[in-house]
Amino acid sequence: MSRPLGSRRPPGSGIREIVVSGLGVVSPYGAGVKSFWTGLAAGTCAIKPITVIDTEGFRSRIAAEIPADVMPALGVSRRRSRADRIALAAAREALADAGLEGPARREAALLIGAVGGGMLEGEDWYWGEARGVPSGRMSALRSILPLSHAETLGGRLGLTGPKETVVMACASGAASIALGADLVRAGVTPTALVGGVDALTHICFMGFNALKLLDPTPCRPFDRDRRGMSIGEAAAFLVIEDALHCRARGGRVHARLTGYGMTTDAHHVTAPHPEGEGMIHAMRQALADAGLDAARVGYVNAHGTGTPQNDRAEALALRRVFGEGGVLVSSTKSLVGHTMAAAGSVEAVATILALQHGLLPPTASLEHVDPEVPFDCLPVTARPADVAAALSNSFGFGGQNVSLVFEKAAGRE
Amino acid sequence: MSEGGPAAARRVVVTGLGTVNASTAGGREALAGALALGRSAIGPVRSFATAGCASGLAAEVDETTLASLVDRDAARRLSRICRLALAACQLAVRDAGIAGGPGLGIVVGTEYGDFTSSRDFAHGFLRRGPAGLSPMIFPNTVMNTMASIAAIAVGAKAPSVTLNQATLAGDLAVARGTRLIADGRAEAVVAGGVDELFEDVYRRLSQMGALSPMRSRAPEGCRPFAPDHNGPVLGEGATFLVLEEREAARARGARVMAEITEAAWGNVPTAPHTGHARRGDAASAVARLLRARETARFERCYGAANGDPAVDDWERALLGRDLAAAPVGLLPPLSLAPLFGQHGGLGALRVGAAALDAERGAASVLVHGIARGGCRTALVVEPAR
Repeated sequence: MSRPLGSRRPPGSGIREIVVSGLGVVSPYGAGVKSFWTGLAAGTCAIKPITVIDTEGFRSRIAAEIPADVMPALGVSRRRSRADRIALAAAREALADAGLEGPARREAALLIGAVGGGMLEGEDWYWGEARGVPSGRMSALRSILPLSHAETLGGRLGLTGPKETVVMACASGAASIALGADLVRAGVTPTALVGGVDALTHICFMGFNALKLLDPTPCRPFDRDRRGMSIGEAAAFLVIEDALHCRARGGRVHARLTGYGMTTDAHHVTAPHPEGEGMIHAMRQALADAGLDAARVGYVNAHGTGTPQNDRAEALALRRVFGEGGVLVSSTKSLVGHTMAAAGSVEAVATILALQHGLLPPTASLEHVDPEVPFDCLPVTARPADVAAALSNSFGFGGQNVSLVFEKAAGRE
Repeated sequence: MSEGGPAAARRVVVTGLGTVNASTAGGREALAGALALGRSAIGPVRSFATAGCASGLAAEVDETTLASLVDRDAARRLSRICRLALAACQLAVRDAGIAGGPGLGIVVGTEYGDFTSSRDFAHGFLRRGPAGLSPMIFPNTVMNTMASIAAIAVGAKAPSVTLNQATLAGDLAVARGTRLIADGRAEAVVAGGVDELFEDVYRRLSQMGALSPMRSRAPEGCRPFAPDHNGPVLGEGATFLVLEEREAARARGARVMAEITEAAWGNVPTAPHTGHARRGDAASAVARLLRARETARFERCYGAANGDPAVDDWERALLGRDLAAAPVGLLPPLSLAPLFGQHGGLGALRVGAAALDAERGAASVLVHGIARGGCRTALVVEPAR
């Protein structure tokens, strides 16, 4: 009775239009969307020596950290985990930016992409125990799971809509946006607070070191001489909303979220499919979902980690979807590092700001473009470009592929 | 159908079930047998010593049973929780008679994920410094590894989603899987939950008073709604359902168990890890669904009550308010926690039990859940028409 399951039917047009009405970010540049955009537009690389983790003996000792002076200024209790603190601050900024109040705010869904949870503080306790030097802060274990962010934000912000903690490795943040969009599209809720968060943790830092995937110098995505990624930490949230609902309440519109694609490689736990098969399907699904021809897309905010394997597979996939040189490409990770579960939402915000400002953030540290990457990867300096539609790619361990399509608020030309 | 429910788009049916739990392992018949027997699988913990721990009970999966379900090569490579998920997914797919492809998705719910691998990875460093870190173990520390392994095994190339949720991991996964099909994101989804019993988690939860006997004088045990309920007893295992778009299932001649006619989830704002029996739910999608369905009546109701007074009392109060006209005997809801123990697969077992009820003719079965922290779920399972 077995039969292969065919391609899905694209949800397509004729359903609710979704707009992005609020943005919030805490990034290695500092707190707030404004500082985030200033850093991106200037092409400032925020990857520096790590201070929150002991890096003695490791190959790579750098990361994009949230500056120490930013944390106390977030206005969130120090008793919460580092990840909860940045998540709460970014979420509050997004809700305030959207002007979402009263019932419209209460009924919002909450989807958070997360991986590390409050592991940084949990590690302190656990390692103390394991070494026979108990720290006495066992309460830190209560926030160790990724779900702690959704519980904290759901309670503190008083949200009653569907609540989910999405753990899809480095595609978590993008997936939370995509899954939230389905809830708005289906009319389950008119608004959703979606995004991702990850703070630096020992386990993440040590794990990518063990896999030899970290560059000892700031990462150089798409460079011929790239040697791996640089990790980072951040929280980024978007308020997405039924366009009619947003219009009726006089909300602002940063951009339109017109489609997404989500696929699984089903190939290998850590390595991408060598031909980028799942990535291709995710991008094509996203374009079909948006009813958009590839030629209409002017910019791709790539996953672009800086590892030889990922960048090669992504370049292959981009070539299949857009053709050689068919689109401008850059990697936000070259600027703020790979912020793990937050990356998809951080880069979604970067993509939206690029559309709004008509300025495409660069790929920092890119000197010699890999001949296997036949695209203009916007080296070093941001470039003015009036782009109507853009794609944001996020891929992760487990063969997880998510592509999001954002279009300018003014509509297609 | 309420706002935006699955039937508003594409209708979703259950066509397969696979479970590896402390009572049984197999497909729909195995679960039906375990439910009919009604024997609790909770007993003294066998896999580690509980000396010095206030708790000593759990519902454990027999290692021999698990070994018989996963081939030796996979067993060598995979952590225990991955083997549990893999075995149950394969059983579910076999029960449904489907194969992989670009239309098959996976949704995995888990509360604790693979903490065994996190412990092993960290211990490598603690023993030998950076040289002791295993690149093989690290990927397992991310919760989506179970879904990844299962996706490779069954060839699932549509969305593969992992959800981290307390108490309701399995319910939420099935609800999200239903949504993926209803929204046209997948033709079929293997959805359910998994958790393993892990000594460190067990000990810490017990130390924090999160497990029975919760520092009370009453004996340890899982007694939902009982006057002396004093905490959950942990279980372990994996249970997955195969969900399919109804017309596609019919077209291939699938043996349909039931239809999921409603799937809603929401949040009752509260502080993390807390539950409050006096806190009502005025606004979530679950409250709206139940109030809209009040007159339609449910023949049976399964709940998330697991012996934790905060969960039991809150669930009783919420359902009492939202189903004020419920027929005698519907409430309090039935709990499966005393049979299988609390774990990430329990919610999928509840939905599986409801699907079996519907297959036998029960007109409408409600699977309800509330968790500390405020997540609330409701699925309505009815005979496929």
